[in-house]
Amino acid sequence: MLFSSIPFLFYFLPAVLLVYYIAPGKFKNAVLLFFSLFFYFWGEPKYTLLMLTSITISYAAGLLIERFRGTRYARVFLWIGVGAGLLLLGFFKYADFMIANLNGIFGISIPLLRIALPIGISFYTFQSISYVIDVYRGDTEAQRNYIDLATYVALFPQLIAGPIVRYTDVAAELKQRSHTAELFSSGAFRFTVGLAKKILIANPLGELCDIFRESNEKSVLFFWIYAIAFCLHIYFDFSGYSDMAIGLGRIFGFRFIENFNYPFISTSVTEFWRRWHMSLGSWFRDYVYIPMGGNRVSTPRWLFNLFVVWMLTGLWHGADWNFVLWGLYFAFFLIIEKLWIGKILKKLPRVLSRVYLLFIMIISFVIFNANGLGGIAGDVGGLFGAGGIPLVTTETLYYLRSYAVLLIAAIIGSTPVVKTAVSKITPKITNVVIAPVMLVLLVLCTAYLVDGSFNPFLYFRF
Amino acid sequence: MKIKNYVVTVCFLVFFLGGALLCLLHSPQEYSTSERRKLKQFPKITTETVLNTKFMSEFETYTLDQFPFRDAFRTVKAIAHYYVFGQKDNNDVYLAGDSVSKLEYPLRPELITSAGQKFETLYNTHFKDTGANVFAAVIPDKNYFLAAQNGYPSIDYDELLRLFRESTPDFKHIDLFDALTIDQYYRTDTHWKQECLSGVVDVLAGGMNIADRLTWDYVENKVEAPFYGVYYGQAALPMAPDTLTYLTNPILDGCTVYNYETGKTTGIYDMEQLTGDDPYEVFLSGAAALLTIENPACTDGRELVVFRDSFGSSIVPLLVPAYSKITLVDIRYVDSTYLPNLVDLSTADDVLFLYSAMVLNQSNMLK
Repeated sequence: MLFSSIPFLFYFLPAVLLVYYIAPGKFKNAVLLFFSLFFYFWGEPKYTLLMLTSITISYAAGLLIERFRGTRYARVFLWIGVGAGLLLLGFFKYADFMIANLNGIFGISIPLLRIALPIGISFYTFQSISYVIDVYRGDTEAQRNYIDLATYVALFPQLIAGPIVRYTDVAAELKQRSHTAELFSSGAFRFTVGLAKKILIANPLGELCDIFRESNEKSVLFFWIYAIAFCLHIYFDFSGYSDMAIGLGRIFGFRFIENFNYPFISTSVTEFWRRWHMSLGSWFRDYVYIPMGGNRVSTPRWLFNLFVVWMLTGLWHGADWNFVLWGLYFAFFLIIEKLWIGKILKKLPRVLSRVYLLFIMIISFVIFNANGLGGIAGDVGGLFGAGGIPLVTTETLYYLRSYAVLLIAAIIGSTPVVKTAVSKITPKITNVVIAPVMLVLLVLCTAYLVDGSFNPFLYFRF
Repeated sequence: MKIKNYVVTVCFLVFFLGGALLCLLHSPQEYSTSERRKLKQFPKITTETVLNTKFMSEFETYTLDQFPFRDAFRTVKAIAHYYVFGQKDNNDVYLAGDSVSKLEYPLRPELITSAGQKFETLYNTHFKDTGANVFAAVIPDKNYFLAAQNGYPSIDYDELLRLFRESTPDFKHIDLFDALTIDQYYRTDTHWKQECLSGVVDVLAGGMNIADRLTWDYVENKVEAPFYGVYYGQAALPMAPDTLTYLTNPILDGCTVYNYETGKTTGIYDMEQLTGDDPYEVFLSGAAALLTIENPACTDGRELVVFRDSFGSSIVPLLVPAYSKITLVDIRYVDSTYLPNLVDLSTADDVLFLYSAMVLNQSNMLK
């Protein structure tokens, strides 16, 4: 079920709000779990059992690790818990990728399994794994209440597209959390902003990208419009979803971590990844990069560590070589920034270092959205006029004019300009206008939904 | 601060809980007049449709189709789309002056050629050896007059005509493009106005050598009820309606129209359609696969066969005085290979292929 859908907004959400707030405190987690499973079942009936299996393995692994803490069995149960999660993820997400590569390398023809990717498997698997590792490390106690652990993993606000919430961040709230008008209203407004980012900005920009793909009159300018539109599309799509998840979390008394912090204003690739999909970056840092030694090792080993982490980051986004290349592309720039140009970037005027980052970032997302490795050359080449395409066509100018306001609004919205402007308005005024602004956005979003067609979130495939 | 929190919380809850209540209390509608389509009804729920998620996807369509105040929300969206976000079209529908049209872009050369080849096959099958005169005319759609002039992408109409003529070498082509202006089309609909077609009829009659058999002697009958064309509903914007006018004279009044699908015989104009969902269907009862118009006022036995789309419904009556019998075929609704089983085409003196540029560019709908 999509957050940006009529069934979610006008059937599921009212129902869960009503039942949740009527239910006594001790049953609130059970209510959330029930509705979360229904939420998942609505989109993936057959894979609901798979998710419950993953939760059960983590639950058992956590208890057994604690039971055998200090013995070698704890390590065995750690590997069972982590390995089971990785095995499920590997099978459902990467089996066909591996088979296709084996077929290509060895000239064999193992039939592809063509398994549908369970929605959100990358997110809930990473949450389950982090829980098992945290219990093993002694960072948290094992959860004895199955409902509480299942609620943590399956919690519908962040179940299918993040942010990747650590168990340690919400363990206390799973046990006891407060529900205040302040938290609810901040969550409601945050949810509305996320909904508007998705429906009013990300979806139309996605349509522009589709128009570009279907166009027979591509031009250099159209390639650049597409590249910029896609960067903004994926940012508003994903950060909009994160806003909705964080907002819903607050409505139900949880405080989830932030996932984006205006990544497009970064002045280096290093900074970009501190601001983009922060929950994924910190997950790989804490559970892969640092356990491998991080940067406190020899230079060749450090380079190897970076190579592994960024290859995995790329693969996490999708089972295709262009995602691997996308990850390694960032690894390349992170390495040269650390070794050579990082200090130069800091000395440069901010505008120049931002242009540097934006150029690298735009190319990266063109690689990301290319149709496999074969599509990368055509898409990146098109930005520089490869293939003798014209600089501009009538069609390009039409779509530039048609989407100009939206593109400008999206560019401004991807920077802290609006936030800064709002912070300068006196609280008296913001207190008065916040509710009308929220209602206007909700009416507009509903109008776009009623008129529009099905438009799934990008990050559901990860 | 505290009041703000309560106000926001209450507004949020009222919006969604109130919206949910309205959704539950709203009586499902069968049909959308503005969009001219049936609306989705509550889907069938079985174990199978739940497990294969068919129920879920159909339920989503149901909730969209049956949303309370749906048309009002569509209007809000259209206004925001055009006037807040400055987008030039909304679901491909655009406004140019006081007229509304739908983008037809890009040119699909293979479909133009395919349409021509299909017509050429019909000619070779039915008319090549009969001695019938075969004519073809392309009707420019509204985009020809509005798109490029208002900065919208426009297909290359010269190329369209070239491709069509190249693929129909045995036809005599009649150029209608110079006989039309945008004022001859309804503002809110895709079609042309019957009362404005005297120039087009002159050009056609000249090309088909029937000018001496036609006169422009008609009574204009204005329909009192406002005419909201097909683009009105799609645009979802407030705009003034058109006025629908149909032409009559004693010759047309004496004609009978036989519909092969329904088996019914009616007149040229089906007055019941004026109160229906699409008043343009007053002309020859609207979409029909196969019709025959019998004109008792013409006794020389001349016959015309017209392969046509919906534009033909309003102009063919104006060719009636020149013929004893006119057969209208719409191969969007009948497989052209079945025609010999349904009607005898071998007695035609003249054959006219009359299609709008829009249909030629989407000719995969031709059977």
